[in-house]
Amino acid sequence: MASRNRTVIFRKYRDALKTVRAPTSSSPASTSSGGGRGNGPVIEMVNASLLHPNRSYTPLSTEDPGNSSNGALTVGLPPAWVDVSEEISANVQRARTRMAELAKAHGKALMPSFGDGKEDQHLIESLTQEITALIKRSEKKLQRLSAAGPSEDSNVRKNVQRSLATDLQNLSMELRKKQSTYLKRLRQQKEGQDGVDLEMNLNGSRSITEDEDLDNIVFSEHQMTKLKKSEAFTAEREREIQQVVESVNELAQIMKDLSVLVIDQGTIVDRIDHNIQTVATTVEEGLKQLQKADRTQKQGGMVMCATALIIMCFVMLVLLILKEIFL
Amino acid sequence: MVLVSAVRDYINRMLQDISGMKVLILDSHTVSVVSVGNSQSELLQKEVFLVELVDSISKSKESMSHLKAVYFLRPTSENIQHLRRQLASPRFGEYHLFFSNILKDTQIHNLADSDEQEVVQQIQEFYADFVAIDPYHFTLNMPSNHIYMLPAVVDTSNLPHFCDRVVDGIASIFLALKRRPIIRYQRTSDIAKRIAQETAVKAVYQQESGLFDFRRMEVSPLLLVIDRRDDPVAPLLNQWTYQAMVHELIGIQDNKVDLRNIGKLPKDQQEVVLSSEQDAFFKANMYENFGDIGKNIKRLVDEFQQISKSNQSIQTIEDMAKFVDNYPEYRKMHGNVSKHVTLVIEMSKIVEERKLMLVSQTEQELACNGGQVAAFEAVTNLLNNESISDIDRLLLVMLYALRYEKESPVQLMQLFNKLASWSAKYKPGLVQFVLKQAGVDKRTGDLFGNRDLLNIARNMARGLKGVENVYTQHQPLLFQTMESISKERLRDVDYPYVGNHFQQGRPQEVVIFIVGGTTYEESRSVALQNASNSGIRFILGGSVVLNSKRFLKDLEEAQRMARSSMAVV
Repeated sequence: MASRNRTVIFRKYRDALKTVRAPTSSSPASTSSGGGRGNGPVIEMVNASLLHPNRSYTPLSTEDPGNSSNGALTVGLPPAWVDVSEEISANVQRARTRMAELAKAHGKALMPSFGDGKEDQHLIESLTQEITALIKRSEKKLQRLSAAGPSEDSNVRKNVQRSLATDLQNLSMELRKKQSTYLKRLRQQKEGQDGVDLEMNLNGSRSITEDEDLDNIVFSEHQMTKLKKSEAFTAEREREIQQVVESVNELAQIMKDLSVLVIDQGTIVDRIDHNIQTVATTVEEGLKQLQKADRTQKQGGMVMCATALIIMCFVMLVLLILKEIFL
Repeated sequence: MVLVSAVRDYINRMLQDISGMKVLILDSHTVSVVSVGNSQSELLQKEVFLVELVDSISKSKESMSHLKAVYFLRPTSENIQHLRRQLASPRFGEYHLFFSNILKDTQIHNLADSDEQEVVQQIQEFYADFVAIDPYHFTLNMPSNHIYMLPAVVDTSNLPHFCDRVVDGIASIFLALKRRPIIRYQRTSDIAKRIAQETAVKAVYQQESGLFDFRRMEVSPLLLVIDRRDDPVAPLLNQWTYQAMVHELIGIQDNKVDLRNIGKLPKDQQEVVLSSEQDAFFKANMYENFGDIGKNIKRLVDEFQQISKSNQSIQTIEDMAKFVDNYPEYRKMHGNVSKHVTLVIEMSKIVEERKLMLVSQTEQELACNGGQVAAFEAVTNLLNNESISDIDRLLLVMLYALRYEKESPVQLMQLFNKLASWSAKYKPGLVQFVLKQAGVDKRTGDLFGNRDLLNIARNMARGLKGVENVYTQHQPLLFQTMESISKERLRDVDYPYVGNHFQQGRPQEVVIFIVGGTTYEESRSVALQNASNSGIRFILGGSVVLNSKRFLKDLEEAQRMARSSMAVV
């Protein structure tokens, strides 16, 4: 794939032309103190000075170099919404790093361990909550980005909104996928645990029937404690599953809101030329609608009625005055 | 993938090195170039948050210095003027200029002159000056295509402009592919000769030879410039393969189909995209015939119904989660299925209205085989049939005239009279104009297979064997040309070389440019030929993509101009 860089030639020409322009601004004009950087207004002088080097000249255009806003680009600050969009992208970045940590924590929690794994659970919980909070906050901020009025700036904002919405949607989908796999594995583990307990219980019950009553009491005590433990365990797992399910639902809600903003790939809305035309036609349509509204308002029946009534009022007033005068 | 990926690579290169928020500014030609290769969501990922046209961007005065401007324009004088004005009062923080073809030094000088604020960071030439609608098919979307039919004496002002644009487009193809070709052209066509020679002069041999100094391959690629009028039959026929049929009956522009005039459709189906890159179903079915498409669409709809049924029975939380997970996929599939179903429904309606099954059968007979007497009878019957539309009548008479031009002038006159009696709009004069432009004396190739004995024998054998599908038996002349190239049997007499370079051996890459426009039937031929792995890669391009309506419009325009110039003289 061939290409050719013409920047070098361009710069050469530009510098050459700059030096041609520059001598005029370094003229002994008293008014120009610092603005001698060839802002263009004194180009007419070039020819004059070159053709008649012996003549002293006064600058033709007494442009006050103070108001440099003529052509010089005022490198102003970007508008406020850019800050909002940068905040959102920073949030997205942070959420991504947290997600990586979450994946690691999930893996660790699923591995069989000796401790009761409470710290793991807490870690997972806190990470999940943090990520969900980040996504929620970003989504709220996203709503702030939309602007009113068909201007170029609003198009930029809309597109920034779209791209951030796509990022957020991908993030939330990833999070939910991770959570659902974790959930599934958790369920498997729980059942496995129950199965093991069940086995133990069966053994226990079998041994009960074989033994005497005293042993019955002892075994049933063992059984009770085991049962209690496994119950507490199951209850905890239930709670965790419930929490995960809740966060899944929250994210589903967020996704629904975001899907309005995101573009469907492959459709006509995803075409660049379609979007350019739509902008043009929307602006035109808007103008037409405004004009139509203006006309209808002017011709409106309401306006006519009101005018008629006011005229009637004046007429009546005049009649009243006349009556007073002549009677 | 070749052409589309070249354009996408250029655009990616343009955008990747520039960080921060960008605005992409295009002109009316480069908009098509970029739109067929990249989608809006891809641009958004690259932080391009605004796309504008160069003429409309000068209307607004608000300064957006937090954006960097990336311009991608053709190096025409209007664009340079726009740029000069915009550089004089810059609105954006930085300016990166990319041009789709070779810049003249004077243009660079002018730009340098206007860039007083020194906002331009780079100027580069990225040679994407063609619209890559399919992997092996490009077009130049030229507005006044009919100029190629006029001899140089008639129109001296527009012809150089036309030729320049074509030469620029062809040169950019070879620059994008990094190849230096050997050029052959069709002897009987003046415009093909002119374009071939100008391409040689400008691009390959003399002026910018430094640019074309690519590593020489063993066998240089071949550029073959031929004229549409050598095969006037291909754009006139009705098509029955998916992509070609949609273009013939409804019209495809830059891979977009505009259904607004066709009927009452829901808002999201009024304009659809048919791109083989983005739509897997379309890619699998674009060259299939209408019957098979119906079957495949039915299968697609059944699959979709299955999925939507399973989506309806949501009972557990798990089901809900799964539904929300799969929702984007589901929505995309829904859109896709309704798009294809809508297209097929609309096309079936049109086929029904215009009785195209009947008409097309006769058309194929005219184009491929059959005797003159039977053909005359069939055409007369159809002309008398009231439910045939005017344009179909004209096409039938045209096809008959092209085929049996010399065989029975009396009967031809009878057909002309009948045609004139039916419709005032389509005069038989147009048919005579076609014969003048593309009659049997003007054609090089053996369009109907009746010039040499071998072809006649082949045709007879085919007639005896019978064909699979009456409606798709036509093979465009391009197919024979491609075969001759692959067997190295393209005659020097008919297709001479430009300059002193001769081809040694079989070329491995061939670019065929048809002056006057290509058809989707021919691009299908090229794609099937490429898929057959014969060792040669063919690329097809034209000044526009034709269907019968467009071809007739070009003929009418050319006829009108020819007449008005004769009136002046």
